[in-house]
Amino acid sequence: MTPEPAPGALILLVEDDAEMRREVATFIGLHGFRVVEAGDVATALAQWGAQRPDLVILDLGLPDADGSVVIRRVRRDAATPIVVLSVRDREDAKVAALEQGADDFVTKPFGAAELLARLRAVLRRAAGPAADPGGLIRLGALEVDVARHQVTVHGRPVHLTPREFEVLKVLVAHAGRLVTHGRLLRAVWGTAYADEAHYVHVYVSQIRRKVAAVDPAGELARLIVAEPGVGYRVRLPEPD
Amino acid sequence: MLRIGSSSVRRVVGVVGAALVALGATTLVVAVLEDRLGVSNAAATYLLAVVAMAVAFGIPAAVGTAVGSFLLYDFVFVHPTGALIVADPEEWLNLLLLLALGVVVGQLAGLQRARAEAALLRERQALAQYRIGRALATGLSAVGALPEIVQLLQSEGMARRAWIALGTGASPERVVADGGGEGAPEVGASHNRLRREAGDEPAAWVRVHDPRQATPGVPDAGMECYRVPIVSGGADRGSVWIARRRAAGRPGRGETRVLAAAADQIGQALERDRLAEEATTAEVARRSEAAKTALLDSVSHDLRTPLASIRAAAGSLMDPALDLEPAARRERAAVIDREAERLNRLVANLLDMSRIEAGDLRARLEPFALEDLVETTLERMADLLAGHPVTVTMRADLPPVEVDPVFIDQVLTNLLENAARYAPLDAPIRVRAEQVAERTIRLTVEDGGPGVPAAALAGLFEKFSRGPRSGEGSRRGAGIGLAVVRGFVEAMGGSVAARSGELGGLAVDVDLRAAPLPREAGR
Repeated sequence: MTPEPAPGALILLVEDDAEMRREVATFIGLHGFRVVEAGDVATALAQWGAQRPDLVILDLGLPDADGSVVIRRVRRDAATPIVVLSVRDREDAKVAALEQGADDFVTKPFGAAELLARLRAVLRRAAGPAADPGGLIRLGALEVDVARHQVTVHGRPVHLTPREFEVLKVLVAHAGRLVTHGRLLRAVWGTAYADEAHYVHVYVSQIRRKVAAVDPAGELARLIVAEPGVGYRVRLPEPD
Repeated sequence: MLRIGSSSVRRVVGVVGAALVALGATTLVVAVLEDRLGVSNAAATYLLAVVAMAVAFGIPAAVGTAVGSFLLYDFVFVHPTGALIVADPEEWLNLLLLLALGVVVGQLAGLQRARAEAALLRERQALAQYRIGRALATGLSAVGALPEIVQLLQSEGMARRAWIALGTGASPERVVADGGGEGAPEVGASHNRLRREAGDEPAAWVRVHDPRQATPGVPDAGMECYRVPIVSGGADRGSVWIARRRAAGRPGRGETRVLAAAADQIGQALERDRLAEEATTAEVARRSEAAKTALLDSVSHDLRTPLASIRAAAGSLMDPALDLEPAARRERAAVIDREAERLNRLVANLLDMSRIEAGDLRARLEPFALEDLVETTLERMADLLAGHPVTVTMRADLPPVEVDPVFIDQVLTNLLENAARYAPLDAPIRVRAEQVAERTIRLTVEDGGPGVPAAALAGLFEKFSRGPRSGEGSRRGAGIGLAVVRGFVEAMGGSVAARSGELGGLAVDVDLRAAPLPREAGR
């Protein structure tokens, strides 16, 4: 078993289906996490107040209130990572949860391995700042020099346009989280979107191509992952 | 009435004039014969005039001409001439023979004429009846033939105006065919209705007071309306109407027969149409029932197959007698995982299909690089596609496409799943894209499987058409995957088509809209 980045991290699992909750709790428990369970919003808020967990797994459809109540409450108190469980065809609900402050989502029905990978990614990101004091962000072979607007892969320069650089900077700065289109647009273009804002997907595509051109081994081929209809996620490199 | 009277006066004057001309001409001929050529008695020549009048104007004119001949011959040729006195008894005999022969010959010739006229009328009426029947039999529908029928009734001279109105007893009749005239036909509070007895004839016209049939306008006082109800299947279906001059009297037997036959034939044709429509409705219902059955067959098969695998694998894992090795346990778990994912895709397609059918799909079109979209879907489906070499071919400078990312993801998923399902293990799958028109980019997914017979290609995107692909496995797979593909592509303003691919299997072409390149991204 791989070593956990945050061994013994306490996870609040909010899920109303008892069967499902037990399965997930057992599974992540076996992987070294400690788990507190809640079946509704009231219990979840009480547990949050009492235990201050390191991460919240939140099902959005709960019996007593909408799961977004929990997101707002947690965000008011702390930057604790939140992973939302949602069903397909509810892209709007996923986007809303992410915009309210959730870090990522997993679509039901999901595989156990997928959930575990997502939990580890958000915990890694929460563990420390992505950029060092010099404004340099490193993701494996990729280095983004925020101060000097330079990007290198394996030390070789990647020539990005100013817009492309901004898009990459925002994605990389939120590595391990899912960045919605809306958040990306606001961060790069501000609230008054220019016409090109419509082309955010095309910019992402250009970045991928330019990175791939200096990355023949394909180490960064899956750096930026699209979640159709929701947003983009930059993968954190797996710890060695 | 006065105008009508004057017209019959004109007719009498015409006949008398013709008789006078005939008699005058005959008298001249007789004068020539007797005075110049010495013929002793040429009175029989007058019979020619009588026959001519009989043929031209009928029996009364012939009898009148015979009497005229008798008087004229007596006055002009018999001694003493210039007076209606006959001195010679032999002359008397001659004169009386002329009168008797004239009357008899005139009657015979007139009867012949009347018979010929009656035969002609019967023939015309029979022809009209035949043409009405033919119009109804050859027309696409009974209602479609009605305008021709009213024209026929009018051209036969039995009506100034003919029209046909339909309605089912309770509701007022609606005029569906009108032979002409200005404005709508006008009917007063009373009209003549054909009362028909059981059996054939005699049917009788009865004048009925029926304000329900009256129209708002004021009818022409000189016109009389006649109505023959159309009855079929024991119910009133409407009426054949004619309007004719009051002076022309009621329709004769022949005319009545044509009208009655027209009403009967229209009634039969309407009934025939009604039955045909019922049969069509029944056929549509039967087909939609068949489609539902096919849907249930398809869905229950596609749902149960993975469920069966899951239960079998779970059963092995649960069985205390079966002490499985860790590798074998993982294998069972992998089966459960894989089949559950298959169920998930099927449920997704079912939900998508219902959204497509409900028509509440709203595509959010945004420009995307097609290559990225394909890569995203391929990554997600890596496990399912593990048994097939997948190649992606598209130019780096391909313009972006305007698509809904969620829709296109499902489109690609279904096309790839379809290819992987039908292509045998290790058979290649190829994804290509090219710009085929200024604003059209064609994405093609093809496989090296057995393909689909040409005849079945067109129906491949119908719901629950499980393609009659040759070879084994033709029973497998969701019959709605390609229907969902079409629904989503069309919702994005694109189109899909299936054909035989260059790899030997099925090729599906998806035409998508190209987006113009942004200023900066093109650099």
